[in-house]
Amino acid sequence: MAEVNMEELLNCALCPNICRCECPVLQVSGREAVAPSGKARLAAMLQHKQLNWDEPVFEAISNCLSCRGCTIYCPFTELSLCDELLNTRLAAKASGIRLPVIDPCISNLKNYGSPYGQKGGPSAAGKKGAEVLYFAGCTSQANHPSSIDAARKLLNKAGVSFQMIDEDCCGYPAEVWGDQELARQLAAENRRKIVDSGASILVTNCPECWLTFTDRYPVWEQDLPLEVIDGPTYFLRLLREGQLKPKKSEFEKISYHDPCIWARAAKKTDEPREILSLIPGINVQEPLSYGEQTRCCGGGSMFQLSFPETAEAIAERRLAEFPEDAVIVTACPFCREGLLQEGRRVLELVEILEQSC
Amino acid sequence: MTDQIRAVLQESRVEQVEIDRYAEEVSALIGTEKVSNNHIDILSTCRDYWPVSSIWMLEGAVPALPQLVVWPQTTEEVSQILALAHERRIPVVPYGEGSGALGGVVPLKGGIMIDMKRMNRIRELDHENLLVTVECGLNGALYEEQLNRSGYTGGHFPQSLRCSTVGGWLACRAAGQFSTRYGKIEDMVVAAEAVLADGTVFRERSVPRTATGPRVDHLFIGSEGVLGVITTATLRIWPLPEKRHLASYTFEKLEDGLEAIRMFMRAGARPAVVRLYDAQETGNHFPELGDKRCALILLIEGAAAIVNGEKDVIEECVSARNAEDTGPEHVKHWLETRFNISAASRLLQKGAVLDTIEVTTNWHNAYSTYSAMQEALKDVEGTMLASGHWSHVYPEGAALYITVVGFPGDDKIVYYKNIWQSAMTACLAEGAAISHHHGIGLHRGQWMAEEHGKGLDVLGRIKNALDPHGIMNPGKLGLGEVRKWQK
Repeated sequence: MAEVNMEELLNCALCPNICRCECPVLQVSGREAVAPSGKARLAAMLQHKQLNWDEPVFEAISNCLSCRGCTIYCPFTELSLCDELLNTRLAAKASGIRLPVIDPCISNLKNYGSPYGQKGGPSAAGKKGAEVLYFAGCTSQANHPSSIDAARKLLNKAGVSFQMIDEDCCGYPAEVWGDQELARQLAAENRRKIVDSGASILVTNCPECWLTFTDRYPVWEQDLPLEVIDGPTYFLRLLREGQLKPKKSEFEKISYHDPCIWARAAKKTDEPREILSLIPGINVQEPLSYGEQTRCCGGGSMFQLSFPETAEAIAERRLAEFPEDAVIVTACPFCREGLLQEGRRVLELVEILEQSC
Repeated sequence: MTDQIRAVLQESRVEQVEIDRYAEEVSALIGTEKVSNNHIDILSTCRDYWPVSSIWMLEGAVPALPQLVVWPQTTEEVSQILALAHERRIPVVPYGEGSGALGGVVPLKGGIMIDMKRMNRIRELDHENLLVTVECGLNGALYEEQLNRSGYTGGHFPQSLRCSTVGGWLACRAAGQFSTRYGKIEDMVVAAEAVLADGTVFRERSVPRTATGPRVDHLFIGSEGVLGVITTATLRIWPLPEKRHLASYTFEKLEDGLEAIRMFMRAGARPAVVRLYDAQETGNHFPELGDKRCALILLIEGAAAIVNGEKDVIEECVSARNAEDTGPEHVKHWLETRFNISAASRLLQKGAVLDTIEVTTNWHNAYSTYSAMQEALKDVEGTMLASGHWSHVYPEGAALYITVVGFPGDDKIVYYKNIWQSAMTACLAEGAAISHHHGIGLHRGQWMAEEHGKGLDVLGRIKNALDPHGIMNPGKLGLGEVRKWQK
């Protein structure tokens, strides 16, 4: 478990927070306790033993989407508040403090390897031993398996030899909820299956999976001995190499929602737009905030399960930034789930691409 | 749990049974989800950006604690909250985003913190009359963003833009960095809606001007929550500027820079941004210019023909004072870094005490006030730096903004009080006003009598008439007794 960086935490706690305007949980709740500096102050007080763990403290410290919106204007370039808050949360486990609302999800992770319960989506498929392993992710499997179908069809159309495994959740939700031990167990099981697959390239459509594989697995000593590629980059590669040849799309007006992880952690803002630009007939109109300045859909840090009302309010706020008559396209199952509210059509990038190929 | 935390300035608290009864009744009126007695919410609204609060935070203490937090979403709910508090004699403190620099939100007598951030909608954008009606809990940057989306600017850019609310601007009588063209917040407010302590709601009409007696709503601009709660405001807006011109110059002496500004203001030029730095701040902010000359940065914007005309007037005035043209790059640098206040957090952790003190001078005493305040601050033991710049200029004078940093050892609070005492004494002796735009809050209240003379008594009488039980933000704006924070 990483140590909390007190100097950086205090830099935030002592700051009036010029990042406030970019903190979605603050902006929808109005609660100072969940402002970036509000959480930093609580975390600092916990460190200084001026405050004890209890449910309200844990709830406030957990009220971070890890969207990194607060980094847009943050003057402290060494500070990663979401990481400091995660490290703070992980320290709560010894106190037995948790969010009661996620108890069933933790049980599901332990019993089924998915926070959503028994896996409904496709499991092992494709060609055993193939070079490319497509990692679907538990959220797509549970909520939007159509994106997995689209990815499989695209890989087949491109002539890519690929496989899918009977995957478990990557471990991200368990750690977000403060149970790093469970996260490590899931990671170890996944690693075993991934290594056994014999693949040399792992492609994931889910940004949370990508971040967990590339950032957390090394921390958990579960480094993956293969190349991990994000979905947008991989499918763009297939387009550039001529393995996919899109024709005119049935969709004309599209607005792309940058998922926070792709935009701010992976810096993948050009790839999805290049994919859309290579599909004839599509007119892309940007929402109010986009690229690295994108705003969260409310789905970060498993909010749709932990804080569903907050997640919905944040999604509504984000939806107001899009042209009303545009189809919203994104590249994340959480964003899709969040933005899929009445009257809006939301699809994933792989589906738009597959439809045109 | 909050009982274990040292609340240094807590003067009194409301009996818990009274608070519990109030919480139950107000929850029935506005909804339980808008009321919290949770220690997390209480801890989080107990302070603002007053440096003393930061010093105490590092020592594990807070200034004072509220007992209940409420989040109204409508003016009617604000009215219900206040009417019940008035009936029960429970103190109420309005809260925006906590960027105030003088302890204006410290709940000296406990009671209710009324957090306005859920009143955050733009109610009407009036294209024909160039007006916007906005709820006062809206974040400043989000307000400007929404206006920009429709092709307008609000013209108000305080350094706290991203961490303050529209209501906070009105309550402390704020000024933004582009104020020389667009005006200060009082110039932008065409009408405001406010709620009095007893729950009475009033709203003035959004007409350009009236001669129908004093504007009652304008009485609330700068009232810092002691008269009531401002809930919405109708503000002037401007089409996004057609042209922007950036220019910077240096002068051998500060007096030359001040005279050049005075002359172009006299000639009628109104650049949005005018900032004249002393040699020390020139070196700090623009190292490539060195620390021997004084930098002036200017930003002119608006219709192209007007910008071009202003540029000609300004160039003539600065040339007459032997200015050296240093080009637009320094202004670009300032635009990129103007909201960055990271040094404060870092220095505080290293044991420093730092603050900014802004006062208002006329031209005739602009330089002498600067010199007197500099000398006074440097004479305080522990002071390492005292520098200054002028901004927010007018035909009749300007705002002088002093930055002071000291390393006083263990007696940080004593040092803090000493620098303020020295600075305010020098300021008043020079005939300058004790605040230009940060307001009074808790700390600066002790000089209000010297600032206003009998005027403070008049303000007190108005306060007593509008808030007879004294529930609104007790102890602020120099009104009411403050026992634990004195000279």
